Order: sequence, then structure tokens, then C-alpha cells
Amino acid sequence: MGDQNTLLTLSDARHLLRRSGFGVRQDRAAKFTGMTRGAAADSLLGAKPSGFKPIGRDIENRHNSWLRYMITIRDPRTEVQEKLVVFWHDHFSTNNDKVGDPKLMANQNLLFRKFCKGNFKALVKAVNKDAAMMEFLDTVRNVKEQPNENYAREVQELFTLGVKDYNGNHNYAQEDIVQIARAFTGWDYNHIGKAVFVAGPGGEHDYTADWPDRGPKVIYKNNPQFGPGGINYAPTPSAEGALEIDAVVDAIFSHRDSDGHNTVARFITGKLFTYYAQPYPKRPTQAALKPIIDQLITASGFDTNWDLRGLLRAIFVSDAFYDPTLGATAAAAPFGAADKKSVKWPIDYVVGTLRTLNFRLRDPGQYVDGGDYAAIRDQLANMGQVLFEPPSVFGWDWETAWISSATLLARYDFARDVTSARGRGLSSFRPNTLSPALAALIKDTAADPTAIVNAVTDVLGVTDQLTSTEKSKLVSYLTDNGTNPTLDLTDYDTRNAKLNGVFALVLQSPAYQVH
Amino acid sequence: MALTRRQFITRTGLATAGAFLGPGFFRNPFLRQALAANLDTSDRYFVVIFLDGGNDGLNTVVPLADGTSGGLRAAYEFARTAGTGGLRLLAPDLAATAIGSDMNSGTPLALHPGLVGLKHLWDAGALAAVQGCGDPVSLNFLSHEFSRGVWQTANPSAAPGYTGGWVGRYLVDAGYSGSDIPSVCIRDSVAPEFFQTTTSVLALDRLDNFGFPYDPDYDADQSAKRDAFLNLYNAASGGLQPTLNYIGAGGSSTLLASESYPALSGTYNSDRAAFSQMYDNLNTGFAGDLREIAKIIYGVKNGVSNVKARSFELSNGGYDTHSDQGTNGPNDQHYQLHRTVGDAVEVFYNDLADMGVADKLCLVVWSEFARRIGQNASGTDHGSQGPVFVIGGPTVIGSSLPGRVYGNHPNVNDAALNDDGNTMYSQAAGDPYRSTDIRDVYGTLLKHWLGVADPTPLLPVDGGDPDVNWTAPDFDLPFLA
Repeated sequence: MGDQNTLLTLSDARHLLRRSGFGVRQDRAAKFTGMTRGAAADSLLGAKPSGFKPIGRDIENRHNSWLRYMITIRDPRTEVQEKLVVFWHDHFSTNNDKVGDPKLMANQNLLFRKFCKGNFKALVKAVNKDAAMMEFLDTVRNVKEQPNENYAREVQELFTLGVKDYNGNHNYAQEDIVQIARAFTGWDYNHIGKAVFVAGPGGEHDYTADWPDRGPKVIYKNNPQFGPGGINYAPTPSAEGALEIDAVVDAIFSHRDSDGHNTVARFITGKLFTYYAQPYPKRPTQAALKPIIDQLITASGFDTNWDLRGLLRAIFVSDAFYDPTLGATAAAAPFGAADKKSVKWPIDYVVGTLRTLNFRLRDPGQYVDGGDYAAIRDQLANMGQVLFEPPSVFGWDWETAWISSATLLARYDFARDVTSARGRGLSSFRPNTLSPALAALIKDTAADPTAIVNAVTDVLGVTDQLTSTEKSKLVSYLTDNGTNPTLDLTDYDTRNAKLNGVFALVLQSPAYQVH
Repeated sequence: MALTRRQFITRTGLATAGAFLGPGFFRNPFLRQALAANLDTSDRYFVVIFLDGGNDGLNTVVPLADGTSGGLRAAYEFARTAGTGGLRLLAPDLAATAIGSDMNSGTPLALHPGLVGLKHLWDAGALAAVQGCGDPVSLNFLSHEFSRGVWQTANPSAAPGYTGGWVGRYLVDAGYSGSDIPSVCIRDSVAPEFFQTTTSVLALDRLDNFGFPYDPDYDADQSAKRDAFLNLYNAASGGLQPTLNYIGAGGSSTLLASESYPALSGTYNSDRAAFSQMYDNLNTGFAGDLREIAKIIYGVKNGVSNVKARSFELSNGGYDTHSDQGTNGPNDQHYQLHRTVGDAVEVFYNDLADMGVADKLCLVVWSEFARRIGQNASGTDHGSQGPVFVIGGPTVIGSSLPGRVYGNHPNVNDAALNDDGNTMYSQAAGDPYRSTDIRDVYGTLLKHWLGVADPTPLLPVDGGDPDVNWTAPDFDLPFLA
């Protein structure tokens, strides 16, 4: 058992950096080794969010702009920030396929960055009025005469409460959706993407049906916490418009589940904990997680202060983060029991690999530098994750859902492209620059295969993750089953076939697909 | 919202497919045992098409006029308005796609005009419409995820002991195991109804790209890389960690399949160039997806070694039409969705008929829910239940009513709808507007197509609720002959 004063081992440091950022570089793991959990968390969560906003004339360019930013950032705190932005992009899933406006997608991306470790309630209130979201979930098409329930449903089901609580009881009823949809009538956004409340005719989309649905609106009548009277979140006409949709969020954030606990706090804590610490599929409702979730809420006060930074710190200093077998015994449907292994997201696989190998993307085609193969966005598409294009309102499916023959082949392709990128001498895949150990081996005419395997797995940050059996298989590969007990890495072809080959095999290995 | 169509880039350097496997590789005892009970023995194919997002059922199988009772056309016209943003399909526009009548109300029915391809199959005796398919629980949620989960697991009340998807449970029951590869999904992930942990289901986008990527500059090192790769993956699949087990099994079967499947594409394209061109002419990703299944079936039919897949899945996205749904204009959203699927399925059916295997085909089209009966300003919100299409040769499909229009058209009269404006689920025998439980549909498919003598162990049965009256299932719905 440990706490915020527990010192990080090298293995702990690698784990923290892998899970909180993208990949782990040797020098950084060394720096964090010996720090306390609390100091490490404070260091990683310390910075103010940057003001980066993806640029470009179309959605592909904006995608590549964001990706380039993630690959080239130097500060580990910015890595932590971007991992959170990806989380919120998945949580408040919005795709340009429906929104059809890259500018609005970029604005939303900046919003997520600004709030990524800020106040969660303020974030939801901001998302209410985010133009991309208003397009994606039809707030702009929600009018009094013909209400559109899309946003009112998802703001509860996906963003704050979840369909059911940890005891399997419904958190809300269809009537609550209807009553919340009424609040979001009468909204539009202007030419600069700012939300405006259309209190009458004359707005940009001037049809009288845009008039808002006035009058009292009562929700959660079925929730014992509020009694049969429920909550009337719009008691007075003066509270219409912006005040009313803020009041809806306040009402939702006061929701209590069938244990009498704050529902939003448990839902979001569970999801963030799952993202960082334990590999349940998303939307965790396993009762086994409840004690850990409640402990994190108690430690951080998240159910009253809604401070995401404090909640993240509580996660990063918890035993459950460093020993995820704690408290988690229920099998996760449909595959896999709870365990440390979490399947890397494609964005994690690609960005982490390129960062640890010091790669750059080559403009303007955004190919892996030196490669002659597919553009990076297509590679990510083949792995099942294109930023700004999550498949639906649910975002991406997590964990083993990332793994299929199609997506595995895409990862193998990427690994091959990176390690065989010779690019007529322009490749930035230069193993000799990656560590002193590798630099020495590359000058060795009789390099030890075990030393090569160790140097490669150290560079890729997975030394702890490969079993001794797996390492021996890699040694057998290097020696052609013992035929060549040492390798002459000064030889161009030996180096390109075998050293690059062992890099590719590690990147393709089962162990590297998880973290 | 539409699923993003994934783009695969044709790559070079993959010409080594088939070079490594000796013919004896799949000669394993598991396979021999499996042959006794699975689709191979019956020489049949099973295809599942998922309309992702909740297809508007009321504008899919549409009341053409009032029948002898129920007043369904009048109710339809009340629910679906004409004019700007209106979703009403006009009777003259439906005449060309008319099918049989609803048995219960005598209502003449028509397919959406965009489903003209399916109308041709109807005329050929190759289509059945199973109306009002649903379950007792989804109506409480109207949620994509919940409803989809019910359809995929066939387990609405989450009864314990029924793991994975309903097709997955069949695959296990049929004795498939190891790297048999009984199923292929044309998408980037295994479809949840195929989930199980006993055998390998492939997910691939295009056969042409399904080769293993070796470094093209060092061919001599390929077999060493292949051995090391399989060693690593076999170590993972044989280990103790469940996630790594899964990845291990998935990776090794991927490598092995990559050595037998890609060549199917070239063979098909040269042997069946005319049909291949017909899919190209449709110019949709979905038609391309369906052609990949035709290529595999052509390979299986011709006995290509190590190609045994008999069940398949693919999907078309974009059915979550909360707004701008449209009617039957050429650029209307719902029209285009229907054209995409209907046209491609017609080509696929004709392709298989030309191969001589139409009577070996059973294809099922489903969606997680139909949408609300009443429309909003220009679209429809989430609803419950909906029609399922079953497609196959004339000897596969039920030969007459009520087989070819099975189940009751939902009663779309305002008075019959629940508080949310949805058609209610009821299996009460006395209810003239009762729905069709999806477990009855699946049970019929399992028993009459997939060769499961008694599907009961594969399908959880609810007890207690008097409305859930499907608990004496005979799994003999007449949509199959």
C-alpha cells in the first residue's frame, strides 16, 4: 500500500508516463524515478493549458496540425494536456462528418484544451453552447413546435449521468429528456460560431418556430432524492435563455443515484479512472469499481468542487493506479478480466512511437518522415481512429474493440513503414541517435543479441512489459536460431534487416499493443 | 451520423501471400470435429447487414393505403407531414415499390422508393419483410447503445449465462475453434453479434490490402520475421493475461489468413469481371464491401484451400436522421441510404444467383430501432422496433403470405402509441398489433438455416411478464421456407 509520499520505481515511472502521456522516453523515465507519487503528479498536472488551436483549410489539414503538435511538444505537461483533450474529444464525441465545418471543430478542440483539467461543471455549460456540438446534436434544429431530443438525451446518457447507476437503476426517464429538450429550444449560433439565444424572429435562421418553449419545466420526479415534485429548473420567466440552460446543468449535477451519492461525480470519476488506470470498456458500471470511485471522490472533493485537476491527482497517487488488480475482480464484458493491460488507442500507438523514435511528419503529404508509404491520417484511419471523426455520438470503442485483424494489420503496416523508412537517406529513423547503448552497439562488429534486444526495448519503454520468453524469441530472431551468435551491426544490410527488424517486431508484438 | 468510411491505400510489397502455409496446416482435429455441426456441411452462407443509427422503419415499409382495418395510411399521413421538412411519401411515388399486404389489417404496403432493388428481389420471390421486430425492454431507453446491445446479444433483460453475441454463441455451439475463421466482418472491428472467445472472426476492409507487411527490401529475412512474429503471438495467446490472449489469437490468425485470403480478390475480378463492374458502377463504399463477401463466397464455393468462412457481416451508417431526413428526392438523405443498400444487395443477389448459390444464401438486414412515429421539423427522433428484411433464393424464403410479409405492421394511430409516441411492444396473443420478438426471428434463423436443432439454449427466455408472451417459442416463423 502506498500514498502520495510513496517513491516511484523505474517501472512505476514508466507506467505513469505511458498512461498519462504518449509513450515514454528513457531520459524522462529516469528523471521521474525516485520522485514521490504526489510530486510526480503535481509536476505533470502543473502547467496552465496552452492556447493551441489546430489550423488548416480543411479537416485533414486540421487533423494533421493537431497530430504534429502532439508529436513535437517537448514539455511532458503538454503531453498530459493532449491526452486529456483526446479524452474529452471522445467523451463529448462530435464529428466533422455531420458538423461539416472545420472551423467549428477547431474551436471545440480549443475549448477542450482550455477546460481539460479545469472545472467539469463549467465545461458542460460551455459544451451546451459550443457551435459544433449544437450542430452535431441538433440544438440548432430543436424548436418548440417540433422538439429535437438529441442533445437533451446525450447530455444525460453520455456526458454526465449514464443510463443506469452502479446498482443498475435508471438515472432518468424519457419524460426528463422531453423536459430538458424544452430548455434548449430557441438557440442558434452566429457567423463567428458564438451561441445566441433567439428570443424571437430576426435571428440568422429566421423562422418563428425558433421561439423558445417558455414556462416551468420539472425533471427527476422519479428520483427519490427530490420527491414527487422533482426539480423545477425554470421557475420564473426571467430565467430563460442562457440562465435556463445553465440551470439545467446545475440540476443534473445535483442528481443522486440509488445509493444517495452524486451521480455525475461517480460517472465521470469512473470514466477517467477507466481511461487512465483500469482497462474496463468505457462507461464502467461494474459495482466492483464503486469503492475505488468513492475513495477518489472523497480524496479529491470532486462531487462538490468539480475540479478535474484535483481528481486526476487523486488518480495518479492512488494504489489502484499503480496496482490495478486492486478491487477489480469482475470480468469486463465481453472480453478480458480486469488487469493492468490496457489496449493502446491508435493515437497513442502512433504518437507514442513517433515521439520515442524522434520522428517528424514530412510536409505537405504528412507521410512518416522518410517513408514512401501511406499518409499518417490514412494509417490512423486503418487503425480505427481519425481525430475529428469519431464514428458516432458514443465516441470510439475502447480496449479489445480496438483490436481486430484489420486494425492489427494497420499497426503492423505502420511499424514496418517507420522502421524501413529509408527515404533515400532522408529518414529520421536513426537508431544510433536514440540511446548511448544503441550507438555503441551500432559500432560493434560482434554485437551481443541480448544487449540489442535490451537496448531496443529500453528505447521503446517496454522493457518491463516483455516476458523473458518473448525476449528470448527476439534473440532467436536476431541470431537466426543461434546460427549467428553475434551480429556485425557496422554492416549496412545486417543493420537494416536485423536491427530495424527487431524494432519492427517489438512495435508489432502483443506486449506493445497494450500499456 | 455516418460512420466514417475507412480508406485503405493499396500498398506494394505484399506479393508473398500463400507462400508459407503447407496444405496441411488446417488439418487439425478441431476442424474435423467441427465439420459435423457447422455451416460447411449444409453448404450454406449467412450474411448480416446492419443499418447503423436506427433506420426509420415507418418510411421503409410504408402503408400505401388504408386497409380493411386500422386506418394505417391515414395515421401515417397524420404523423408524417407534406411540404417543407415533411417526410410523407406520397402514394403515387410508392406504387412502383408495392409489396404484399399486412395480414392483420389488410393494409397494402410498399417499400421506400429508394429500395427499388429490394422490390426486384420481392418480385423474384427472394425477399421477406418481417415487421415490428423488437424486444420488451428497449422502449424504456430509446438509446442507440442499449437497443443495439439487445439486438446483438439477443438478451434484453441481461439474463446471466448468455455471453457474447447471438451469432457468436452459434459459432461456439457449431464447434468452431482455434484458427478456423468461420466468419468475416467487412469493417475495422469484429461485429458485436459475432463476439465469442473460442474461434477467430476476421475483420478486414479490402482483401487486396490484407497482406502482411514485411520490409520489401529484405525478402531473405522474411521467414525469420514470420517465425519470430508467430512465436511472440503464440506466447501471448498461450499466456495467462486475458487481453494478451485475445491479441495473441487475433494476431496469429491474422497472419495466417493474410496468406490465404488476398488472392481471392484477383481470382474473382478476373473470373467474374462483369459482376465486379456492376458493384463499381454503384460507386459506393457499401457496394465495395458487399463485393468482398462475394469474392470470399466465390473462393469457398470453388474450394480454395484455407478459406472456409460461411458467415459474414457488414454495415452501412448514417441512419440517425434527426434532421434533414428527406423523402424520395435523388439527393434526400434517407433515399440515398436506401438506394445504397438496396442497389448493392440486388447486385449481390444476382451475383450469387449467377454463381449458382442463391439458394444457399440467407441475408438479414436489421437496425437497432425504427424511429419515432411522429416526425420533428425535418427528421425523426429515436423510437422502438422496426422491420427486418430476409433475403435468399426462392427456395429459402417463405413462399406466400404471411411468410413474405410476416408480423403486424405497427399500429401508428396516435391512440395506440405510448406516451412518447412510440409503438408499444406486446406479445399478447389477443393484441392485433403485436410485435415480433427478435429472439423468435433469431431462433427461426438458427433452427431453419444455421442447423441448430434446438435454439433454446442459445436464446434467453424471459419469464413472468404476461406481455412477454414469446416464452413458448417454436422458432418456426414462416419467413423461411
